Amino acid sequence: MIQNQLTRPLSMNCRVNAKPHGYIKRWQVALFVGVCIFALNSTALIAEDPRDQGTELGSVVEDESNDTEVNVPERPDLQKYKTKIEPLLKWACFDCHSEEHSEGNFRADQLDPDFAGGNDITWWLEVYSVLSKGEMPPPESSELTDADRIFIVDWLSAEIQKAEKLRKSSGSRSSFRRLTRYEYNYALQDLLGVPWTFADDLPEEASEDDGFENNAESLLISAKQVETYYQLTLKALQRVTVRGERPPVVYWGISMEEAFQREKKWHDDTVESTRKKFEDDPKEQSSQLERLNRQFQASNDRSHYSDLATGMRAKFEWNYRQAKYAFEASDEVPSMPATRSSFAVVHPGSREALTVDLGDRLPDVGTMRVRIRASRAEGVTQRVPSLQLYFGFQATDQGRSIKRVSQRDVQILAPYGSPEIYEWDIPLSEIEYRNTYRGSMKLGQQPNPSEYIRFVNSTVGRSRDDSESPAILIDYVEVAAPVYDEWPPRTHQNLFIESDLAHDETAYAREIITTFMSRAWRQVTPAEIDRKVELFQHIRAGSLDFQEAIIDVLATILASPKFLYVSSGEYESRADQEVARLPQAELAARLSLFLWCSVPDETLLKLASTGQLTDPEVLRQQVNRMLDDPKGSRFAQHFVQQWLKMRPLEYLSPSRGENGLDEELLESMKEEPIALFADMIRNDSRILDFVDSDYLVVNERLASHYGIPGVQGNDFRRVALPDEFNRGGLLTQAGLLTMNSDGEDSHPVKRGVWLLTNLLNDPPPPPPPAVPEIDLSDPEIAKLSLKERIEDHRDHAACLSCHQKIDPWGIAFENYDALGRWREQVDGKSIDATSVLPNNISLNGIAGLKKHLAQDREEQFVRATVEKMASFALGRQLDFGDRAEVTDITRRVREAGGGIRTLVICLVTSDLFQSR
Amino acid sequence: MANNFHRLDRRRFLRGAGTALALPLLSSSLPLSAATPDGESNPKRLACIYFPDGVPMPLREDPAYEDWSWFPHGGGTEFKFTKCTDVFEPVIQDVTILSGFSHPHARRVHGHRNADQFLTAAKIRRDVTYKNSISLDQVYAEQIGDQTRFASLVMSTDGGIGTPCAAQTLSFNRMGRPIPAEQSPKRIFDMLFVKKDADAARRLAMSQSALDEMLADAKDLRGTLPAEDKERFDEYLNSVREAEVRVQKAKEWVHKPFPVVDQALFEDDISPESPRLYLQSMFDMIYLAFKTDSTRVATYQIGRENGAGVSDRLARAVGFNLAHKLTHDTKFPGGWENLGKYCRFLNEEFVRFATRLKETPEPAGTGTMLDNSLLLFGSASSAFHLSRNYPLVLAGGKNMGFKHGRYLNYAGANPMSGAWKGGIEPYQKEITHDDQRLTRVFVTMLQQLGMETESFAGATGNFPELLS
Repeated sequence: MIQNQLTRPLSMNCRVNAKPHGYIKRWQVALFVGVCIFALNSTALIAEDPRDQGTELGSVVEDESNDTEVNVPERPDLQKYKTKIEPLLKWACFDCHSEEHSEGNFRADQLDPDFAGGNDITWWLEVYSVLSKGEMPPPESSELTDADRIFIVDWLSAEIQKAEKLRKSSGSRSSFRRLTRYEYNYALQDLLGVPWTFADDLPEEASEDDGFENNAESLLISAKQVETYYQLTLKALQRVTVRGERPPVVYWGISMEEAFQREKKWHDDTVESTRKKFEDDPKEQSSQLERLNRQFQASNDRSHYSDLATGMRAKFEWNYRQAKYAFEASDEVPSMPATRSSFAVVHPGSREALTVDLGDRLPDVGTMRVRIRASRAEGVTQRVPSLQLYFGFQATDQGRSIKRVSQRDVQILAPYGSPEIYEWDIPLSEIEYRNTYRGSMKLGQQPNPSEYIRFVNSTVGRSRDDSESPAILIDYVEVAAPVYDEWPPRTHQNLFIESDLAHDETAYAREIITTFMSRAWRQVTPAEIDRKVELFQHIRAGSLDFQEAIIDVLATILASPKFLYVSSGEYESRADQEVARLPQAELAARLSLFLWCSVPDETLLKLASTGQLTDPEVLRQQVNRMLDDPKGSRFAQHFVQQWLKMRPLEYLSPSRGENGLDEELLESMKEEPIALFADMIRNDSRILDFVDSDYLVVNERLASHYGIPGVQGNDFRRVALPDEFNRGGLLTQAGLLTMNSDGEDSHPVKRGVWLLTNLLNDPPPPPPPAVPEIDLSDPEIAKLSLKERIEDHRDHAACLSCHQKIDPWGIAFENYDALGRWREQVDGKSIDATSVLPNNISLNGIAGLKKHLAQDREEQFVRATVEKMASFALGRQLDFGDRAEVTDITRRVREAGGGIRTLVICLVTSDLFQSR
Repeated sequence: MANNFHRLDRRRFLRGAGTALALPLLSSSLPLSAATPDGESNPKRLACIYFPDGVPMPLREDPAYEDWSWFPHGGGTEFKFTKCTDVFEPVIQDVTILSGFSHPHARRVHGHRNADQFLTAAKIRRDVTYKNSISLDQVYAEQIGDQTRFASLVMSTDGGIGTPCAAQTLSFNRMGRPIPAEQSPKRIFDMLFVKKDADAARRLAMSQSALDEMLADAKDLRGTLPAEDKERFDEYLNSVREAEVRVQKAKEWVHKPFPVVDQALFEDDISPESPRLYLQSMFDMIYLAFKTDSTRVATYQIGRENGAGVSDRLARAVGFNLAHKLTHDTKFPGGWENLGKYCRFLNEEFVRFATRLKETPEPAGTGTMLDNSLLLFGSASSAFHLSRNYPLVLAGGKNMGFKHGRYLNYAGANPMSGAWKGGIEPYQKEITHDDQRLTRVFVTMLQQLGMETESFAGATGNFPELLS
């Protein structure tokens, strides 16, 4: 837990919260960061040139940290407080903050001046923050001179630093924790060698509003969960192992010519019966036949089977009844026919998809390999269409399921006339809902037991006159299942390793267990191995066979707290270090959890076991290797989603319609922040690019949302950004703006709070319990603009103190609507996105906000990013005792050019990261 | 009909008194200990029974309105049952009829796919991958499932899980996954009273070894931790110990003898081809399971939605062919009466079940079994596949504080009714009446069952009017 003195309820804001625990924690961060703001930034009230002042104060911090003897912390200077500081405070603050008027429930007259020994450090940090930022005393009524202000601030700064040292040497922060649900899942994937979903049965983490999911304090555990670990590891091990002979493969070889001819035949049959039916009425007969033929010939704009030989176009038809559309499976390997004259022409959109019904013979497990022969449309040279694969079934009118099973869109590059083979491997056991009527119903019966695959052209946008066709031409589909490239599969062999000892059960068991344990646990002793071998011997008699007994033992290894818990172990104390250092194996685990969200690989474990992992050069190499590894994308995904608190985007539903949030847009919105971060990591781009950049990382759907031409395809890539688009960085990303809207319109308060909380790590206090609602039934209020309403709301005394800190930030975003699109007007009125910060700095809309952050708050922004990333990397909240380290890392990052990859390296090579 | 009654009574007579029912061992929660009810702590049981397709709701001006409406006429204590529902008359002091309740997320859902949500109140979207949430019965089973040999009994006429949006089970676990329902009375009977699950015993032994192992590893690890980490880690240790206790209790159940039952009774597997007998046998299973305290939680889905299953043929009990078709045929002359007769049959069997509980004194407690059993009976459709204004009956549970003898009519003056004659379906029509949230009833049910909860499926609020 964190220090006692931090657990006192604070209320320089509005209230004592109903949930004191979460409340306080939020404030610990808030105050802590409040201080940071001072160190880097200052305000016009303190000095004429904010940056000069900031630099000066920054250098004070550095000098002190370099010069002060680490092991002899200074005592607080109480004498100076009594004689010099208290009188000043009394004059400037006590009027409103003492016994008579304890505004905001705060009494300045009762503060304990012993920062480290007393209980008031959080109060002092807040005093420090408001004084240094010029927010208190209230600018309009303050008579405090700049000189006096600086005098108090200097004293506070010095005392806080002394307290930091004391606090740090008493260090009681711990990252000891269990793996999160997603980390456990990745760890199983990496150990078992397949990217499957293993940990879904674990409960979701009860993530705190203000923390990361891996925050050590919030990771709880229950008896039910303990049972679940064992059950799910057992299931995971059973899924990756096999028994018996290789199962026979079922094949489908389906040419689109066959599909077309089938449609044609059904059509011909209908024509024939119609002809007969109206034999006696030639006039009616010919009109009926004409109607039928007209219906059969599909429009070229819609998906269809095309027969070049006859020029006929038949619509894609599919329904589940009687499994009429099911293609027959075969036990023989189909031979791929030569290209003929019939294609399925698949246009973009889920309604234009090609459904291939496979009947009821797909197995439950194993890989389903889907191959198609496809090309682009005739004459297309620029446009690159893309394809997704779905799996589904329909048993009855309502009973159905459909799921996208392809991970990434496949780009179809083959030109017309030279089709190529495109292939997907789908693990059937990963499909949660299968048709439960397989086996109990026959094909043709109701409920229908068949299943289908569906090809969706995911190219954004329809063909227009002026652009090339996005259609995809498929002429052949081949499916095989279950496909095993080896038997037993590699995952099985990874566990049941090849061995000369295989004839001797116990010896073989020992070998298997030793190999597995030393990969799964970060450190393993002979005694630990002995015990698992004993367990094997103990359960072997009651088990079905050797394999079952081994799997049971391996499951206990993965369910063990020695696998589940990290950052444990005895801590080495080195004489020349003030803090306990992590053992190297735990350092490897911390590094791996940070950048891969998983347990360390063999390279890291080897470096740890040979003691090389603390070498800064080795660490730098490892960080680069890990970030460049495909597993590095997990870092981008989980850090960014949690840092930017993107969960609300998960609750949005796509909507149809012209200006709606379509599925492609929503999906792209969720991806954009992650894609930007990943791109910046790749290029070691400046952290300040989060604030503003002259490039975007977007795909076609987002580019068109932003009005940027010339971006094609669903992959994200870096695109140069002309100024006039009002984009760049995180602040203007559509997803983040949408998330901080109310569905109908922008929401300046949400946007302000989000910016302060996540990007600046300076969260405003939560609203008081009885917030006066904005009364829209009042005609006077109803006719106000949004900005005016907010200003009116702010006039309430109860709201003022918080909202003057929040609103100006949010109003700067007013040029972006509920879906993050740029706008100049609302309801015919011009947007007024100008605002004034509490310290009297004016922001002129988004451009002004970005400029202010980049110029005046550059160091604060870098520091906030350091803090967020450090908290994620350590798996715990930072506190007061981490301040000096954070300052040092921030300095190093900035000196080294301020790149994001540089930040990762500075963090990993810091004492903060390497100590407990 | 009389014949059927007679036959069943004979069989039941043969069956004798003491027996029990339940679900497979080592399902999600493990059973713990035998109930040791003293008079002070009566068992609290929950059974939820569902029928598909909705109920007759002729228009007011329709000649069938008076006789064949499902909902009684009137409200409060001043109401009159119809021919469809007058079978409730004898037990009216143990029964409350409800109208005007539904789940907000289901109100625009077609009646052919609303059974999935009946006990979960989940928001299920069709445009994304199917996702349900935990059902009412499983919330309660999580709390008390370890008190009995089986955490819960999950039954349906059609069996299994069905498919997304066409469930054949009412029960969904914490992860929102369907729990397979058992459909054969004989198999349920065997599971509850006859067959030892040898594999379950073996797997339990293995679970215990695994937990021992986790405990040993944990003790090892704890020894290396600094003091404050030890404290944090103790939560884990306690959880393992708690899990061990649960496995131990489960093992005790495995070795404990079953209640004595006359096995001859279920040598024949009664199928839905004998509809009334089948329905009675399924209700008997709940009765026996409750009576022997083999479980305290049961669900029974009398039929899946939209026909297309064996349950559709239950209508043969009263001389019709397919049950679902009756709801479509209400547009024809006599249609309301036919559907009314079928619903009356379901009501009859539910009342028979409730009466049996009422006639049985609580084996080791006070009052009757019905006083200690809370029964929810109903459908998620009212007028033609409309997922609003659910027809609901709440019965029993007097010892838990429920007050009966009333018709709580929240349906408003003109609930949507009438036959569907093509065109726009009722469920597509605008919502003109604001139904009560059914989750409020669920919350009160859970609270009276002894759970400390204020909300269900994310919706806060209860419905104290149900209580005395």
